[in-house]
Amino acid sequence: MPPEVRAQEEAFAEQQLNALLPESLLSNLFGSGVFGIGGAIALIFGALAAGSEYGWGTLKSVLSQRPGRLGVLLGKLAALGLFLLLFVLLALSAAALGSFAVARLEEAAVDWPSVGELFRGFGAGALILLVWGSLGFALAVLFRGTALAIGLGLAYALAVENILATLPIEGDTFERIRKATLGENTLGLSNSFGSPFPEGFGVPEPLVEPERAVLVLSAYAVGFVLLAALLLWRRDVT
Amino acid sequence: METRGLTKRYGRRITAVDNLDLAVRRGEVYGFLGPNGAGKTTTLRMLLGLIRPSSGRARVLGERPGAPDGLARIGALVESPAFYPYLSGKDNLRVMARYADVPWWRVDEALMEVELQGRAKDKFRKYSLGMKQRLGVAAALLKDPELLILDEPTNGLDPKGMADMRALIRELGSGERTVLLSSHLLGEVEQICDRVGVVRKGRLVAEGTVAELRGREGLLVRAEPLEEASYIAARLEGVEEATVVDGTLRLVADPERSAEINAKLVSAGIRVSELRPAEQSLEEVFLELTGRETV
Repeated sequence: MPPEVRAQEEAFAEQQLNALLPESLLSNLFGSGVFGIGGAIALIFGALAAGSEYGWGTLKSVLSQRPGRLGVLLGKLAALGLFLLLFVLLALSAAALGSFAVARLEEAAVDWPSVGELFRGFGAGALILLVWGSLGFALAVLFRGTALAIGLGLAYALAVENILATLPIEGDTFERIRKATLGENTLGLSNSFGSPFPEGFGVPEPLVEPERAVLVLSAYAVGFVLLAALLLWRRDVT
Repeated sequence: METRGLTKRYGRRITAVDNLDLAVRRGEVYGFLGPNGAGKTTTLRMLLGLIRPSSGRARVLGERPGAPDGLARIGALVESPAFYPYLSGKDNLRVMARYADVPWWRVDEALMEVELQGRAKDKFRKYSLGMKQRLGVAAALLKDPELLILDEPTNGLDPKGMADMRALIRELGSGERTVLLSSHLLGEVEQICDRVGVVRKGRLVAEGTVAELRGREGLLVRAEPLEEASYIAARLEGVEEATVVDGTLRLVADPERSAEINAKLVSAGIRVSELRPAEQSLEEVFLELTGRETV
């Protein structure tokens, strides 16, 4: 093997190893797509949290007891939110444990990101999961069940988002549409922690700045919750 | 509990409940009768705030339907009982007790009232239809409610279960508690209810005590020749009306006069083979009122 190729391979391996160390904890976690998959899982849990009551017919039993409709909605959202926050905490803890183990095995320095950066990572992960979870929740209330909500939600998350991201269409209008999608904003926020891949590895640059992504994702989360609240408040329970 | 002009429309064509005026007095057991699709369940759901009326108003225990303060004093079983299939009967009631904000020990009491304590730890999905129904009634009883709304509570019960449920409902309604019972089992309603309301196509077509609904007293006569018997009977003192129905003569008259009427018919040469008080059953009244639609 020519020495320059060997040198390139060694540099690449070193870059990959560095991406696994504690100092790259957040870029590794967000760049590996945990919150992309996590978003889909959050969507499913959101749909299950709201839709199961329709499927079992238990919504009428619950609402006939005492709590108001909005009380039930807020309770379920609080439980879903708590569950998703625990999921983020678990993902962060698992990633930290893994990177610590790699650092020990490789006898590398254990340099953690700053506390502020860790909090920012926790907040970003929570926001991403909450927005996808609230989408699943709103879809389940809209369709009064889990199956259609999960089916359509995953079709959007996995198919529509990918098609929009990869279609070779140029132009301001299409770019504005892409900038408004959940996936592009999730990517914009995730990539603000850096990429675990070496430069020039072909990872597309996000269209959305992280600050804008936070605002857009927050607006989506609030919108989905309001939609679910409005539907639950207004519609008959049959 | 009172409704005024309560109406529920689905689109322009379907009116499930049409301008319904209903009043259930405190402490009574009120039977709510009607054929399938008459609007009974829709009305009950509106009283619980599960369905919003298109127009009209309702007050339940002095509150608007669905108000938490009102629901805290109402126990309800509407249509089929629905619970979490992966939880036991007891755990389901615990969940409902937390929603209702009632003490945990009420769960055991409610289970005992419906005699389900022996199977309380089994998963709800393993329950028979009758057990599910009893758990639904137990959930309705959790709050020791002032108003009990029961929609077809004997559905799925075996004859003994039905008899037990009737006894339970009678007991529950014997004190201060008000019971609104929707049922298509007319014998059940006849035995239990103080007053009855009959709905047809969303409208209240009759209301009163069972005795009132059965209407005027009368006599049933089998005699020959029938037409001549009818002609003579119609002219007898104390007989308000005489009609021939299905080969029998029906007289609107005080049953106390049956001996006198019999004597006069016989003396007029009529051969009387049967003469007895004719009492319309609630079922006959119901079928008359609802146009023999499916019960």
